[in-house]
Order: sequence, then C-alpha cells, then structure tokens
Amino acid sequence: MNTPMNTHTRTNTRLRDSEFTFMFQLISYSFIIILSIMCLLPFLLILSGSFSSNESIVRNGYHLFPTDFSLEGYKMVFKFPTQVLKAYGVTVFTTVVGTTLGLFLITMAGFVLQRKDFKYRNTFSFFIYFTTLFGGGLVPWYIMLANYFNLTDTYTVLIFPGLMTPFLIILMKNFIRSAVPDELIESAKIDGANDFRIYVSIVLKLAMPGIATVGLFLALGYWNDWFTSSLFINNPDMYQLQFYLYNTMNTITFIDQMAIGTGITLSQEVPTESTKMAMAIVVTGPILFLYPFVQRYFVKGLTIGAVKG
Amino acid sequence: MRNKTIRHLSLVLALMLFAGVLAACNNGSGGSTQGSEQGGTSGNKGEKVTLQFYMLGDAPKDLPVIESEINKLAEADLNVNVKFNYTSWTDWDQKYKLLLSSGQPIDLIFTADWTFYQSYAKKGAFLPLDEMLPTAAPALKAHVPDDMWDAVKINDKIYTVPSTWIEYVTEGIAYREDLREKYNLPKPESLETLEAYLEGIKANEPNIIPIADSNANHTHGIRQLTSKLVNTAGQLPYGLDIMYDTPSTVTSYWGSAQHLEDLKTYKRWMDKGFFPKNVLNVKDTSNSLLQNGKAAVVLSGENPNKFNADVIKVQSTHPDWKLAYFPYPNAKGFAQPVHPIHNGFAIPRSSKNPEKALAFYEKLVTDKRYNWLTEYGIEGKNFEVDNGYYKMVGDAQTNGFPREGMNGWAWRNPEFMLYDKTFDDVLTMFEDLDKIKKPDIFTGFAEDWTPYQAEKAALEQVEKQYLYPLNVGLVADVEAGLNTFMEKAKQAGLEKIQADYTKQWQEYLKSTGIQ
Repeated sequence: MNTPMNTHTRTNTRLRDSEFTFMFQLISYSFIIILSIMCLLPFLLILSGSFSSNESIVRNGYHLFPTDFSLEGYKMVFKFPTQVLKAYGVTVFTTVVGTTLGLFLITMAGFVLQRKDFKYRNTFSFFIYFTTLFGGGLVPWYIMLANYFNLTDTYTVLIFPGLMTPFLIILMKNFIRSAVPDELIESAKIDGANDFRIYVSIVLKLAMPGIATVGLFLALGYWNDWFTSSLFINNPDMYQLQFYLYNTMNTITFIDQMAIGTGITLSQEVPTESTKMAMAIVVTGPILFLYPFVQRYFVKGLTIGAVKG
Repeated sequence: MRNKTIRHLSLVLALMLFAGVLAACNNGSGGSTQGSEQGGTSGNKGEKVTLQFYMLGDAPKDLPVIESEINKLAEADLNVNVKFNYTSWTDWDQKYKLLLSSGQPIDLIFTADWTFYQSYAKKGAFLPLDEMLPTAAPALKAHVPDDMWDAVKINDKIYTVPSTWIEYVTEGIAYREDLREKYNLPKPESLETLEAYLEGIKANEPNIIPIADSNANHTHGIRQLTSKLVNTAGQLPYGLDIMYDTPSTVTSYWGSAQHLEDLKTYKRWMDKGFFPKNVLNVKDTSNSLLQNGKAAVVLSGENPNKFNADVIKVQSTHPDWKLAYFPYPNAKGFAQPVHPIHNGFAIPRSSKNPEKALAFYEKLVTDKRYNWLTEYGIEGKNFEVDNGYYKMVGDAQTNGFPREGMNGWAWRNPEFMLYDKTFDDVLTMFEDLDKIKKPDIFTGFAEDWTPYQAEKAALEQVEKQYLYPLNVGLVADVEAGLNTFMEKAKQAGLEKIQADYTKQWQEYLKSTGIQ
C-alpha cells in the first residue's frame, strides 16, 4: 500500500535493531560481570583472609587484599599435616572410587532403561521414581545402614549411599535416548554385537557429554559430602575432609554456646581466623581445578539430558 | 493374568535377592563392628566381650594408645575389652538420638541434664540400675553418696551413675580490670555500677565494644544480677519467673513491669553505644572478643572454669592486661552446685552386657590406674605429677592426650583428681561459693513438652523476631514493642505453654516435697 514509507521504516528499524542489540548486549554483559564479581568477592575475601595475619583480621576485619600479609594460616594447617592429609586421602579415595563405580552403574541403568525392547523397564523405572517421591526418612535410613548392613566405620558407607541417585539415572536415561539412535543399536546388533558390546563401544562413547555431566555431579557430591561421615564414622582417621573442617568449626560454636551451663572445658586448640580461611582454600582448591576441564561438556550434557523427556 | 502376577512376584524376589547380595558384600567390609557384636552375644559363656562405650565430642590423638592400655587392665581384671567411640560435636544431639533410638548395641553412654537424661530415662531408653548395682558394682554403689543416688532417680529408679565431684557452673561478669583501674571506674557489681563502668569504657576507649555478648545473650546475665531465680543459669523457659525462696509461686516475667523496665535499660544502653549496631549478627564468640581486646565485659556464659581459661589465654597473649570476675551468686546471696545428673553414665536398653559394663565403669571410677589413664594419660609420657599438681608434658599441640582429653567429666573421682596449678583460683572461687551454697532444686525437674510442642516452636520464632530486637534496644518505642511481642506470643500459645509448664512444675515440687 504505502511502499515508500515502508522502505523508510525498514531502514529505521534496522538501525534501531542494531542499537537495541548493542544496548541489550551492554546491559546483559554488565549484568553478568557484576554477578560474577559478586560471586567471586566472597571467595576473594576467603583467599585474602587466608593470607592475612590473624591479628589483623581480629582488629580490622576482612579486607579484599591482605593488609598484613602472612602465611601463618597455612603453616598452622600443615603444621601437623597427618590429620589433614588423612582426611584428604579419604575424600580423594571416596571421590575417585565413588565416581567411577557410580558412573558405571548409572550409565548401565540408563542404557537398559531407555531400551524399548526391555520388557520390565516401566516396572524398574517405577522403583526408581518411587524413591524420589517417598523416602523413609532419616531414622530408618540410619537403622538400615548401621544395624542391618553394619556399615559404621567403613569406607563402604562413605561410597555406597551416594552411588545411584534417581535424578542422575533419569538424566542419563534421557541423554542416552537422545544421543544414541535406536537404529544404531539395531545395526550394531545385525553386525553381531551383543548388548554389553553395544554398551561399551557405542553407548559409552556417544554419551561422553552426559557422562562428564553426571560424573561432575557425582564427584561434587562425594567431594562435598560431610553428612555420612558425621553419622557413621567414629574413627577420626576416616573423616572426610569436609567433615574434618566442619567439625573443627562446630567445636568452636559448641565451646561458645553449650559450655555456658555445662561447665565443660575442652582441651583442644581453637583454630584462628586465618587458619579457618586457609583450611577452606585447601578444601575447595582441587574441585575448582576439576571444573574447567569438565565445563565444556557440561552445558551440552545437562540441556540435552533434561529437555527431551 | 495369573502369569503376570507370578512374573511380577519373581521380579520382586529377584530384586530382594540382589539387595541381599549387596548386604552380604557390605557385611564383609564392615567386619570390625560385626566381630564385636558376635563377641557380645557370646558374653553369657564368660568369654571375652567388647563393650561399646560412647562419649560426646572428639577423641584425643592418643586414644588408641590409652585404649590398648585400658584393655590390658580390663582383660586381666574382668575379661572385657572396651571400644571408645566419640560422636564429635557436629550434630551431636541428633546423633545421640539416633544412637539411642536405632537399637545399636551400646553398653555405656554419657548422660547429663543438657543431653536430656530425664526425658530419655522417662521414655525407657536406659536400663534401671537399682538391682544391678549391689551385685555388679558394690564399690561404685558405696562410692556415690546415697543422697546423690536419690537425686538422679526418675520415677523412683536409678538410670545413671552420677559424678561425685562437686563443681559450680554459676556465671558471673568477666571484665577488664586494667581498664577499670586506668580510668578509675567502679567495680561492676550491681546494675548501677555496671552501667557506670560501661559508660567509662565507652567514653575513654572508643575502639572497644563495651558489651561482648551477641544475640541478646546478655539478658541471662542481667537476670541473674537482679533477681533470685530458681535456675542458676537465669534461663527459665517461656519468660517465667520462679524465685528460689518461693518456688511454688510461678509468675510471668514477660510483659511484667520489671520486664518493661529492663527493656528500657537495654534501649538506653543501645543509645549510649554499649552494643554494636549489628549485635544480632555478630558471629564472634563473646570469649574471643574479650580475649582479643575487642570488648570489655562479658555478661553471660562465664562460669569460673571458663573465666580461668580466659585468664590463661590473656596472660600468654597480652600480659599487660588484667581480667577480673564478679560471680552472680555474690549478688544473689546463694550459689547452687551442679545437680548430680549433670555428669553421668547410663547403660542403654540395647546393651548386651549390662553387668560387665557396670563392673567396668566401677573400675573406671574407683581404680586409680584406670582413672588416671583415662583422665590424664600415661604418666611420664602425657603428664607428670609435680608437687601434687598436674603438669602436662610438652604443650597442647605436641601432647596427644591433654588433661581430661577423653572428655571424662563423668568419672572424675575427687580422691584421685589432679589439678593444674592455674586451677587454684577456680578452687578458691569454689570454696567461696561453698559458703553460700544451697541445693539445686531446679535441675531435677524434667519438662515434658509433648503437650505443647507446636506452640513451643512457634513461640521460639516469635521470640527471635520480636523479643531479640527489644533486648538489644533496636526498637524505638519499647512499650509498644513489648505489647506487640506479648500479643504475638499469646497468638503463638504462650498462655497454654505457661499454664502447662506451671502444672508440671508444681507436680514436681509436690513429688519431691519442696516447699
């Protein structure tokens, strides 16, 4: 109808479009930058705290950059390194063994549950879904592991309960379904491969992004776990690193709050502020380094696995 | 149709089998606990048994050494072995509950009023010891005085072996004596002099926070300074007032004229700058604030023992500072030593060898070899006896078993006890408190909050939201703020709680014959 006008507005909108894109990018970039700074700041505070002398923390509080540089926090952590190293060893061991074992079980479960020719897949899926809806609660869980399986003070208890999470199985199942076409499995079958062969040479290879994602979830879970240690481990040599740290902190809180009316005197040395910060750095360090290596698979694995239901 | 059900059934069976296999695998790796349990069941034949011993807190570094030494003695004397287990302080209350409710075989467990001995005993978590004591542990029966056995009874049965060492965990004001002398301030021994002292600190030392207590804890201290409450810690629940001289009269402190006046005082203190503005969020412990010179006065939580620890710490870091202490009992006119249920050991119902456990505990208390080993460690390696005083070998970092490192508060035996030289001050304080001692009539009372559990939780929320800001003077209009708090508290069910608590308390008074 009004062609000349139309061309005019079109150039205009194009101009406005690029302006809009620019503005949008400006805002979103600055938003992301501010957000990441906000996430990084607390960590930077811990880092700077771990390198400050305790005296300066107590007097002046925390600063973004250490006002009075000192390594005493780290010296204290590693003064008697046996306990820290033992806890480290336990955590590394449970993380490695738990993640590897868990990945095997979860990928196998996922593979089997997505196969359309597996007759009982609905029944099995139901057993798995069911536990996400109804849990027994803490006490039955404790009684099961402590009294029936007799797992108190064993490494098994640190690994076993975290091996298979329903959420991760579902994630893996959906991921394999979308990453490995049925036709591929069929053709492999025609070529004479058995199910296990298909699993090892096809599914495991195609599901790499999913495996990396689930693996990171598992590894994080094992690395950050303190609760199982708290409930089932009495032997200090078998404490996980997070629990070792958490317990040290709790002892301080206890001295403050409970010792009021109990008349209890605790003979342990209370760690200083800088020691606490140094411990936090020592604990988070390794998993921070793991993240960048898995990150590139991460986004892909999570979205594909989650979107197609 | 039938075919299908059979198939389903077989599936379930297969699953159960799989679970069974898993369980069997795990049993293999959990061999240590399994072994001890088997040892337990064969105890009837007079074979060697392993007792499971549960303590709160963290184990000392040298525990395995001590354990093997103790086991050498115990094997020769009683043909038993002991495994010492520790819960650690993380979530200890939850773990304590799980240990007692899960039916794990435990032979000896620590009890105290603050681990809810009374309610566990009432619920039947422990074995009654009355019949066992004369046969299994006659020396222990004789060692503990009869009035103590009577005091720990719940429903006329003994469920715990009390500690016979008498201590005071009464609180007091800990303050910086050197600053008091420097600026010529009065001793903070009443509400007026305390305020004058705080004013002086604020005026002369702008960098020091006058009051160290965070989270509105100071109120417990002030209550002990200004009233003669029945509870030594000044922490009567639900805002109740029960005075020591007239225990059967129960009134509500919350909402009273006295309460309003106290809150006005706190408001005035806040205006004068005695509290930091963010007092409800301060995470540092009040002791560390005092020890590091950030604050001048601690009003709550300083018992003689704790104060002594502060003095030792300050002497080593700032020898030019001086700390002083004013015990609240001096203001009240009487002091209450800890109740016998404050430290003790019980035998849980799940124990497989109650007699052996009791016999072993008897050794721990009455045999000097056992007692010293578990309280102080190995003589020459962990400690030395110097002129009758306890002396640690090395320091807390190098010594794997510091004094009372096993947290053995419950089996302290006054006859064998060794004290550090610095502890003399505490003992003198105890002697002074002994002169004004009156029996503790509060701790024997076991509150049963099941009738008002929901209201109790709601009230705790209201208290945090409306009372804490009043306690630190953060509300501009105190009277209106108190009215709002009372209104919200009543909505939460305060009156029901108070009435029920009063009823229980009066029943307790009647049953114990306290007037």
